[in-house]
Amino acid sequence: MGEIRSHGEDPEDDNHHKKPKLSSFITQSQIQQEFAHHKSGVARINNGSFGSCPGSIIAAQKRWQLKFLQQPDDFFFNQLPTQILRSRTLIKDLINADDVSEVSIVDNATTAAAIVLQHVGWAFAEGRFHKGDAVVMLHCAFQAVKKSIEAYVTRAGGSVIVVQLPFPVHSNEEIISEFRKGLARGKANGRKVRLAIIDHITSMPSVIIPVRELVAICREEGVSQVFVDAAHAVGSVSVDVKDIGADFYVSNLHKWFFSPPSVALLYCRKSSLSSELHHPVVSHEYGNGLAIESAWIGTRDYSSQLLVPEVVDFINRFKGGIEGIRNKNHNAVVEMGEMLAKAWGTSLGSPPEMCPSMAMVGLPSCLGVLSDNDASRLRDHLRDQFSVEVPIHYQPLKDGEGGARDEGGGFITGYARISHQVYNTIDDYIKFRDAVNQLLHDGFDCKMLGRE
Amino acid sequence: MDQECNSLQAGQCNTLSLPSDVFCPRLHTHTRSLSLSLSLSLSLSLSLSLSVKVNNMASNNVHHDEENGTDTENSHNDRQKCKVLDIRSEFCHHDPDVARINNGSFGCCPSSVIEAQQRYQLRFLEQPDDFYFNHLKPSILRSRQAIKTLIKADHVDEISIVDNATTAAAIVLQHVKWSFFDSKFNPGDTAVMLHYAYGAVKKSVEAYVTRAGGHVIEVNMPFPVASNDEIIAAFRNALELGKSNNRKVRLAVIDHITSMPTVVIPVKELVKMCREQGVDRIFVDAAHAIGSIEVDVKEIGADFYTSNLHKWLFCPPSIAFLHCRNPEVSNLHHPVVSHEYGNGLAIESSWIGTRDYSAQLVVPEALDFVNRFEGGLDGIRKWNHQKVVEMAEMLVKTWGTNLGSPPEMCSSMAMVGLPPSLGIASHSDALKLRSHLRDCFKVEVPIYYRQPKDGEVNPVTGYARISHQIYNTIDDYNRFRDAISNLVNCRFTCKLLHN
Repeated sequence: MGEIRSHGEDPEDDNHHKKPKLSSFITQSQIQQEFAHHKSGVARINNGSFGSCPGSIIAAQKRWQLKFLQQPDDFFFNQLPTQILRSRTLIKDLINADDVSEVSIVDNATTAAAIVLQHVGWAFAEGRFHKGDAVVMLHCAFQAVKKSIEAYVTRAGGSVIVVQLPFPVHSNEEIISEFRKGLARGKANGRKVRLAIIDHITSMPSVIIPVRELVAICREEGVSQVFVDAAHAVGSVSVDVKDIGADFYVSNLHKWFFSPPSVALLYCRKSSLSSELHHPVVSHEYGNGLAIESAWIGTRDYSSQLLVPEVVDFINRFKGGIEGIRNKNHNAVVEMGEMLAKAWGTSLGSPPEMCPSMAMVGLPSCLGVLSDNDASRLRDHLRDQFSVEVPIHYQPLKDGEGGARDEGGGFITGYARISHQVYNTIDDYIKFRDAVNQLLHDGFDCKMLGRE
Repeated sequence: MDQECNSLQAGQCNTLSLPSDVFCPRLHTHTRSLSLSLSLSLSLSLSLSLSVKVNNMASNNVHHDEENGTDTENSHNDRQKCKVLDIRSEFCHHDPDVARINNGSFGCCPSSVIEAQQRYQLRFLEQPDDFYFNHLKPSILRSRQAIKTLIKADHVDEISIVDNATTAAAIVLQHVKWSFFDSKFNPGDTAVMLHYAYGAVKKSVEAYVTRAGGHVIEVNMPFPVASNDEIIAAFRNALELGKSNNRKVRLAVIDHITSMPTVVIPVKELVKMCREQGVDRIFVDAAHAIGSIEVDVKEIGADFYTSNLHKWLFCPPSIAFLHCRNPEVSNLHHPVVSHEYGNGLAIESSWIGTRDYSAQLVVPEALDFVNRFEGGLDGIRKWNHQKVVEMAEMLVKTWGTNLGSPPEMCSSMAMVGLPPSLGIASHSDALKLRSHLRDCFKVEVPIYYRQPKDGEVNPVTGYARISHQIYNTIDDYNRFRDAISNLVNCRFTCKLLHN
């Protein structure tokens, strides 16, 4: 992925196979131009939630949208299937899958979770799984995934084992040890564990999970199938699905891979079990395999799914390609995180090596973030009063253990999840630093925000 | 008109010259028609400007234009003084070389609505968090309220917005699946659907009902069809069969307008029959209905009713509504589960993860567009119906064939019999002929294969489903007419398209 794509394509071919000049990588000014549509005056340090998309990709998307509007029948019959296959093939290479049939494109990780969990639901209903058989999830799994488990597993008679992971966290070993203990505890009464859902990068609080090791533990413990929710992974950490070894792996491309909203890859390792997956929205393609089912779920705008080639070209304008972008983002977000922690007398929620392109930065305890409600209203306050966009996480203290303390001696219960993407500048983080300092100066406490 | 007959091999195309009359869609009592000579290569969007008098209000007789005051007949000044709606510019993105007579499949969207959609898309890209927290929900609610008024529902809670009718079907059928799992329904209980139900819906019924233990019965409706009575009788038979052997009919899936072949179904009568027969759940798949026929969900009285807004209501791809008569009781869920799970289908559907919701937000703008026409949606519907019947009758007269249904059972689409000499002998032939018409004649129209009954002499086995939407002109249908006549005269048969 880091190499420059070589020339050799038919000159009549689509616009994106021109040989870029080796000497001119994208400049800072060109980057700002690509993201000129971002609202000015906002310190946009939350790439993690909704991602971002450069102007040239948006323009490419509009060209596809226009093609459909011009002659939709021709587009449907003659262009759409080819283009989706083109995207899937590139994704297969990106994640080191064996075969393109293992790669389906869906809207987002939320949809992928529904696909995998509906499959589990059927197994309960059809007697392959038995009442009480369990599904394992992390305590900090994404809320949509938790609800999906409730909707498809609990409702069908399955039980749920919740594994608590530590936060703040200091090393992979802590996570591995806690996961092993939690899984063993959950299986203690002899329950069969049918599926484990493990995040590659948790959302809130955000930490890179040692998935390879956790998948191995699952196999050792006889877990039938493992689903890795890697919503944030592609474009922020290295992804090798064979090496990770899960049965199912999903990542959004609109978060860190410069695609427009929305597109995600769902990888399903070839096996007799994976052929049973279906898209919940059933079309005439039902029964032709998940990838083909997902490529047509009724009339809609598929344009965001067709842009992987253009995104690859965009990424190759950067020195080092996607690896270069990842490293740069990671280094910058750690640097900024450490700058903020130093300025506020707090600390990071995890060591740098467990941060992807995001970092959890402790907030001064006197801000009084003492509930989820406080965290979300503080976030609104920062948006409305300071034009800073950053999600806030409330971390309850562990009984009997306390937690991290700030320089003033108070317990840190609030963390900001800062992101760094190519469009960010140091000013964004300075603005955030100063906003919090202003709040401190004003004697601010979340109690002042009143009830919702 | 010259008709060249070359030796016809697949892919070899004839050239046609276009007729000289272009008929302007008439939307009020004062007609303007323009005569132009055209060649295939001329870009229509640049050179034509069809002016139609527009009206802010939906009244038929009073042409009171706020800016211009008085109401005059046959006034040259009308065009200058009144607001002019340039249909051609609203649809200038349509490929000008194509006779686009298949609005039914993928619909259409005017430029002004696309622009509104793009403004929403930009707002998300500018500041997505702000958009998500502060603007998305109220905008979806605005669309739902507009739909509630349009379909005469009681309460906005009854309206959910989803991607398309295919998604709505999955929602309803998944609910039926749970009823089987929870033992509310018994194995072997039946679901009744039309033989002509949409392919995706049939598969969805297989995926959720058959798989869960239900038994499916198809209503054998005749086609060509002569009257509503034939449909009602066939449906009654199917319900009887569904109840036989002590079974219960748990679900009826009824199209409001079937897709292929297309016919307007007497849903009100069928729903009434289902209620009388104690059918548990009645789901009307009205994918084509909104914008092409009148929709009053209370009058129809189904439990669930879905229609696409991107087909005939000028919304961008894609958006549909699912109306649920008793939302509190029904316990429907969107299959893509988000943190909104349990807050009711409408709220669940309004957030199914990060994606582009912009198509769902422009219903008010689409209705503004519609209301720029005299008579509003009503006026457009009547106009389209009148024109498609007129064009259909012109075609069957030229080819010596027949319509698939009487005009009163046509919506803004009609099934037009194709000359038997074309030799359409299978679904595959129909698809290949469709491609041939697209590639060689630049006519876009879906073809339906109808299996002939034993003993039929020289049967009509192929029907074209022609659509009429406001951007269509008589030219589109003349080109289709001439293409087919050309094929007939050159003794073309579908066998020539076989490999």
